[in-house]
Amino acid sequence: MEASRRDFINVAIGGMGVVGALGVLYPIVKTLAPSAASSTEAKVEVDINKVPELGIRVTSFKGKPLFVVKLPEGASQKFSYKLNESAKNSAGKHNQEILGDKNVFALIGVCTHLGCIPLWKPQGADISGGNPAFHCPCHGGFYTPWGDVIGGPPPRPLWVPPQKLEGNKLVVGEPGFVERLV
Amino acid sequence: MIKRIVDWIDERAHIRDIYREQMVEYKVPKNLTFPYVFGVLALTTFAIQIISGIILIMYYKPLIAHAFDSTNYTIMKEISFGWLFRNIHAAGANFFLAIVYLHMFTGIYYNAYKKPRELVWIVGWVIFFVLLMTALSGYLLPWGQLSYWGMIVTTEIPMSLGDAPILKGLLGAIGETVSIWMKGGYKLEDLALGRFFGLHVLFLPLTLLLLIGIHLFLVRAAGISNPDGYEIDKKNEPEKVVPFHPYMTLKEGAYTMWYLALFFFFVFFHMSHFLPADNFEPADPLKTPPHIAPEWYLLGFYEIFRSIPSKFWGFVAFNLSLVFLLILPFLDFSPLKSARRRPLFFIMFVVLVISAIALTILGTMAPTPTNAKLGMFFTFTTFLFFLSLPVISFIEWGWYKAKGGQS
Repeated sequence: MEASRRDFINVAIGGMGVVGALGVLYPIVKTLAPSAASSTEAKVEVDINKVPELGIRVTSFKGKPLFVVKLPEGASQKFSYKLNESAKNSAGKHNQEILGDKNVFALIGVCTHLGCIPLWKPQGADISGGNPAFHCPCHGGFYTPWGDVIGGPPPRPLWVPPQKLEGNKLVVGEPGFVERLV
Repeated sequence: MIKRIVDWIDERAHIRDIYREQMVEYKVPKNLTFPYVFGVLALTTFAIQIISGIILIMYYKPLIAHAFDSTNYTIMKEISFGWLFRNIHAAGANFFLAIVYLHMFTGIYYNAYKKPRELVWIVGWVIFFVLLMTALSGYLLPWGQLSYWGMIVTTEIPMSLGDAPILKGLLGAIGETVSIWMKGGYKLEDLALGRFFGLHVLFLPLTLLLLIGIHLFLVRAAGISNPDGYEIDKKNEPEKVVPFHPYMTLKEGAYTMWYLALFFFFVFFHMSHFLPADNFEPADPLKTPPHIAPEWYLLGFYEIFRSIPSKFWGFVAFNLSLVFLLILPFLDFSPLKSARRRPLFFIMFVVLVISAIALTILGTMAPTPTNAKLGMFFTFTTFLFFLSLPVISFIEWGWYKAKGGQS
């Protein structure tokens, strides 16, 4: 099939029309992009000296509550829990395997069952054997201080955001001892 | 595949028939001149205003505590490309009015308001009026100094009725009631902003959409006028008409491209014309900005209002100028059409154009005694245009009859 001048003009005009339409659509779609103000939420710095031992500090990360947990030295050995073995994080591990050697770390404070915010119970409950635990008030989920499931309906441990330690500062949102969200 | 989908739809909706009837078999005079393009340009601008307006309304907050910041921070700084859509909307308002004025002068020049097109003109006049209301209400929304004081002046205009030579008490009470009802109280505050916002974003655009639909239908029903001023018999004079598509679509499409290029040149490089610096200062009810005048598209009417020494008669005069525009088809009852064939009308048309331009320029200037006299003079010549039309029509009926009823 031979291309005529008319074909050429049709393709040229059509092409310019497509370029024009894209030029109009680009800024329209871009207005819906996340604002610069909201992107400042994607990085949080916490001074760990201000978190009491066996206490948590609640702040916000990407619009969700963030628990910064501080445990005493050797908490991994001191507190023992009977875990729900099938509830693993997205790396296929328990959170404690990733966070167990840290005494300060951050968790996303949203119950993995239906999105409520768990309560921090430093004195624990029966199910945790008197050891500190997170308790979700909505449907009775229980988590260890590292976010692993002890009991109740949650299907997986609390999410762990990427984080690193810089001196006294825990920086959440940048890869460090946790590389990515698990 | 695409052809099969289109076939499937066509079998049910007969879109190809409609397209052929409305675009190809629809014939228009082949001697249409450049000014006939302004209608399409106005339609283009209307579409631009709707699209940019939808984006702005998502972020604008119609409360006086937030209006200024949502316009000048959220839209201008926070939202990606928000500045672009505000620029487009602000420039678009000015271009819309400019194109509509050119469209109206075209209609006057070619006498496109005469039988059988009186309704086209009357509906067009209503569109013009609603468009002015839309521009006025939209101007308040950014809640800057010019927005606020512009609206204060507007809501004061009905109060001019209080200066009437007769029935002072009654007319004054009516004027004050209108003024208070516009604002929702004695002060221009949240209630006023809310109602102007509602009018601007919903009622007035929907009204415009409806009116434009009727306007276009009436144009189709009565047929497009002809620069030569003769009605074309489409059946018996096929050599005088061309199919709308592709002849008019391509011609008007090309002009639309040039128009958009000009429009976006202003949007990207010369926005200070449309977003004056004074309006980037939040509204202050206790301080009037030193230089304040209406937007250019109102200056002609403003100058008529201002140049007459009595507030009441100024009010009457500027309303009368609007009414004369409305009843133009009945003032001009001559059997002849188009300024090309009507030397007397052509002279008066030139008088009208010069008066309109002069009044607009005078509107920007300080009201010195000389300027006030010039304003009076051009107000007079503007009315002279309208009042000369019945006289010219009378003379032209004489010529028409002398030629044995041939135009």
